[in-house]
Amino acid sequence: MLDQLKSDTITSDLLRHIRLNKAFIIWMGVLGISFLVCIYAYTIQLRDGLGVAGIRDYVSWGLYISNFVFFVAVSLIGMLMTAVLGLIGIKWASPLARIAEIIALAFASVAGLVIISDMGRPDRLLYVFIHGRVQSPIVWDITVVTIYIIISLLLLYLPLIPDFKICYDKLEKAPKIQRTIYKILSLNWNNTPEQQKIIKNSIRVLAILIIPVAFGIHTVTSWLFANTSRAGWDSTIFGPYFVSGAFVAGCAAVIIAMYFYRYNYKLKDYITDMHFDKMAKLLVLVSLVYLYFNLNEFMVPGYKMKKFDAIHLNELFTGAHALLFWSTQLLGLVLPIIILLFKQMRKPLPVMVVSIFVLVGAWFKRYIIVVPTQEHPYLPIQNVPLNFKFYTPTLIEILITIAPILLAIIIITILSKVIPIIPIHETLEELEEPEKVGNK
Amino acid sequence: MYKKNIGLKLTTIILGSLLAINVAAQNWNIPADQSAKNSSFPFNASTAKEGEAIFTKNCVSCHGNPGKGNSLKSLSPIPPDLAGAVTQHRTDGDIFYIISTGRVIMPSFKDVLTDQDRWKVISYIRSFNKDYVQVLSKFDSGKSKLVKITMEFDAKTNQIKVLVKANETTGVVSLKNDEVELFAKRYFGKLQIDKTNRTDANGLVVFSFPKDLPGDKNGNVDLIVSVNDDSYGEVQYQKVFKVGVPTNKPSLTEKRAIWNVLAKAPVWLILTYLFCVFLVLSVFGYIVYNLFKLNKSSDIKNLKS
Amino acid sequence: MSEKEDKPKNKTRREFLQELGYVGIGAVIGGSAIFAGINYDKRKRQIDRIKVLTAENELIEIDRKDAGKVVKSKQEVLTYLQKEGREGIVGKRWVMVIDLSRCRNARKCMSSCQSAHHLRPEQSHITTLKMQESLDTPPYYMPKQCQHCDNPPCVAVCPVDATFKRPDGIVLIDNERCIGCRFCIAACPYSARYFNWSKPLHEQEDKDLTYNVELNVPQRKGTITKCLFSADRVREGKLPYCVGACPNGVFYFGDENEDAVTNGTTKETVRFKKLLEDNGGYRLMAELGTNPRVYYLPPKGKSYPFQDKDREEAEEHLKG
Repeated sequence: MLDQLKSDTITSDLLRHIRLNKAFIIWMGVLGISFLVCIYAYTIQLRDGLGVAGIRDYVSWGLYISNFVFFVAVSLIGMLMTAVLGLIGIKWASPLARIAEIIALAFASVAGLVIISDMGRPDRLLYVFIHGRVQSPIVWDITVVTIYIIISLLLLYLPLIPDFKICYDKLEKAPKIQRTIYKILSLNWNNTPEQQKIIKNSIRVLAILIIPVAFGIHTVTSWLFANTSRAGWDSTIFGPYFVSGAFVAGCAAVIIAMYFYRYNYKLKDYITDMHFDKMAKLLVLVSLVYLYFNLNEFMVPGYKMKKFDAIHLNELFTGAHALLFWSTQLLGLVLPIIILLFKQMRKPLPVMVVSIFVLVGAWFKRYIIVVPTQEHPYLPIQNVPLNFKFYTPTLIEILITIAPILLAIIIITILSKVIPIIPIHETLEELEEPEKVGNK
Repeated sequence: MYKKNIGLKLTTIILGSLLAINVAAQNWNIPADQSAKNSSFPFNASTAKEGEAIFTKNCVSCHGNPGKGNSLKSLSPIPPDLAGAVTQHRTDGDIFYIISTGRVIMPSFKDVLTDQDRWKVISYIRSFNKDYVQVLSKFDSGKSKLVKITMEFDAKTNQIKVLVKANETTGVVSLKNDEVELFAKRYFGKLQIDKTNRTDANGLVVFSFPKDLPGDKNGNVDLIVSVNDDSYGEVQYQKVFKVGVPTNKPSLTEKRAIWNVLAKAPVWLILTYLFCVFLVLSVFGYIVYNLFKLNKSSDIKNLKS
Repeated sequence: MSEKEDKPKNKTRREFLQELGYVGIGAVIGGSAIFAGINYDKRKRQIDRIKVLTAENELIEIDRKDAGKVVKSKQEVLTYLQKEGREGIVGKRWVMVIDLSRCRNARKCMSSCQSAHHLRPEQSHITTLKMQESLDTPPYYMPKQCQHCDNPPCVAVCPVDATFKRPDGIVLIDNERCIGCRFCIAACPYSARYFNWSKPLHEQEDKDLTYNVELNVPQRKGTITKCLFSADRVREGKLPYCVGACPNGVFYFGDENEDAVTNGTTKETVRFKKLLEDNGGYRLMAELGTNPRVYYLPPKGKSYPFQDKDREEAEEHLKG
């Protein structure tokens, strides 16, 4: 039988962070002001055109598109954690599902905004819906990103329904509006068997649906590149290459988030060393898969050294992008795999530090995928100013690139201030019926 | 345009002229009758001025300005300065022939400039020569109206027969040994058919017509015949013949393709896309329905602690 | 489409453009339209007479009240030009032949293109490249513009149908539709597309012009610009700007269906297939399957030497 006292402790532990405190206000203030500075940079771009960025006719996709790919990549972790691990009944992952889902939702919805910052005519955004061509991968991308955002939202919301009820019941000190919203969102949850069954079925259907959608979202994003005949992009494995890379970035993001939640929200008993150990192992697993795809991606053209592939690879291996390329490959992929193989390195702090390297590496890896290819088109770049030949991001461009990162953090921060980031209802349920959950 | 000192300019002109006289002059092979051609209008300040405008547009980029020695030295052979001795020693007919036909790197201006325009350019070039005395052509432009051309197609031999006569007051005269050219009208210009032929004693000239020339969808081709007679001038005649290959190719955007407009997207792509969207939407519908059901089914009896 | 349909359509166009001419305020003809010379008729003092420029470049004088009747709104003119621009010229398949043996990098094609399309100095729909295939093969000059592919990768990826292929083969860009995603730039293997990164060169002068998709003027900030095979000139039966501007006889342009191309410099018309056959015509990067409508004749027996100062730049592209 469930120990009532224990249950109360858990509930109050997991609800503790839902309140305003000084640290939160300061943190949000800093984020908000930085974000406004970045928005100011974007208004300059709106006024003067994309020319304020370093992109030009040859390298016409730069930081913005790299950033977009990165955001889509990170958001994929929601699918891995809630759907894949959930469906095959990996029990340890269930307390982390909500963190993954918050990250997924934040990054997926911000990804849509990143794309707008790359548009020459953002005022014509609606044309994509009015005049959309079903043949364009951009239309597929917009379709699938929208679908992914909706599913992520639902997968975040459905398990939250019982928790909203708990929030409404227990958070008596919260502002009235907040409690009203909890009440509305809890949809008259009474924990009846029928309701439980409805929620379980719905989650299960969505968990199945999100798998192809998530593969779709990143495969389609990879097709933005692979569907062109450019050396470095013209690759048949770009889809799985991107998807596997996405899991690496997403795992790292979840680990970093877990670390901050664990210490800031005092959740040591819920996000345990065991979770870090398991997540680190998962990170190693997905990194190995990604390493395997990297091997394919570079080994196959590198063996043949076809004219333009050779120019591209030389540029990456020994040329202008070599430092960045080897840093991302070694610091962001190979070394983390090796380090995390040691048990003592799978403690929270080292795992978190390694994850930061992985995540930053993942960002620069997107840059390596997007930019160098465009610097070497099939025909020579001539009769243009020097800044057309070599891409250098401008300050405004960097600020506009930082904006979505800040926005994603703001969304995550706000969400984790209004909802319990560890599913309370599920935690209680598992305490109550461990064997039942285990057999799922 | 680059500027150099006068000495260098003079040297270039002289050297250029000498070279041109020695090397290039013999190579033009101008037929005697062409060499003897003359303009039908007198050169004056106004024709020279019009000639200058034409020259600036068509000639100056290679030949430079006459007398300035600024022709394009990177070319081989170097285009002569047209105020120089080599050009000025030629007859008007020579220069007219050179402009008309072109040679090696010099393009032909026959189809670019009208006869009149070419003579005007010569008028401009001659304005740099103080010793020049013009010889006028004896040709009477009014006589061209008398020329009568008939054209017929012989399907058996695939030949176009052109008969050139003139209705003189004394009776009908056949125009002998005249240059006749046959063209098929195309969108941007005239395509010459066969080669330039000369009329025989009866004023007859025969062109063999290619069997593979595309016409319109019925095979019609607009043919133009052009006769050049020393005393009657240039006369043109135009007639449509059903001599071409009927051509009615479909538009390039007819088929369904990835690159075509939405309405012409590949069927499999449209169906796949719609199927996926439909599938997702129906799942969303199911979820929304479930949420409604959830809202309704809060059974108090089964309430747990 | 049959020719029967073609003829009345042309008539409509002429009528339409005549009416357009009366607009006189510069809807299409813009700066060149003359709205001056208001004379007073002594007998009918109230009626103003105005001089307007018609589409045929004739200056005519009409009653102002008559002008009012036929004035088309800017939107109507735009709609007409957009429709016409997408339909193309029925029954045609435009082709261009570029004779590399004649190019001496005079760049008259570039400057005429830039002035026709109001482009910035670094933008030119056509550019002459210093090419070299490998270190052991000779360098040559190569004019390069949009290849107007029959399997255009750029059109395939466009999300909003802003860039499109016309029935007559020309690939155009609709500046009123383009969202500026630059996917087409990424997809084009010939680097033939340019973007208006900042405000266009003649933004102020062109602000009253109605957009003509066949000329892509006025240029607009945040949209793509590219070679149009001078669709506006071709409609008038004239050769494209670059073709007509070349002093060296490099370009031929014509209709594949007529099997004839006309040289821009000499205006000589020759058989298209025969020209290719006699000179070993080829297409750029045929292995990509883009099926360009631009053909090249190899730089065999060059009329002009490759200049030593350009050698270094030609070799640059070969290094990785």
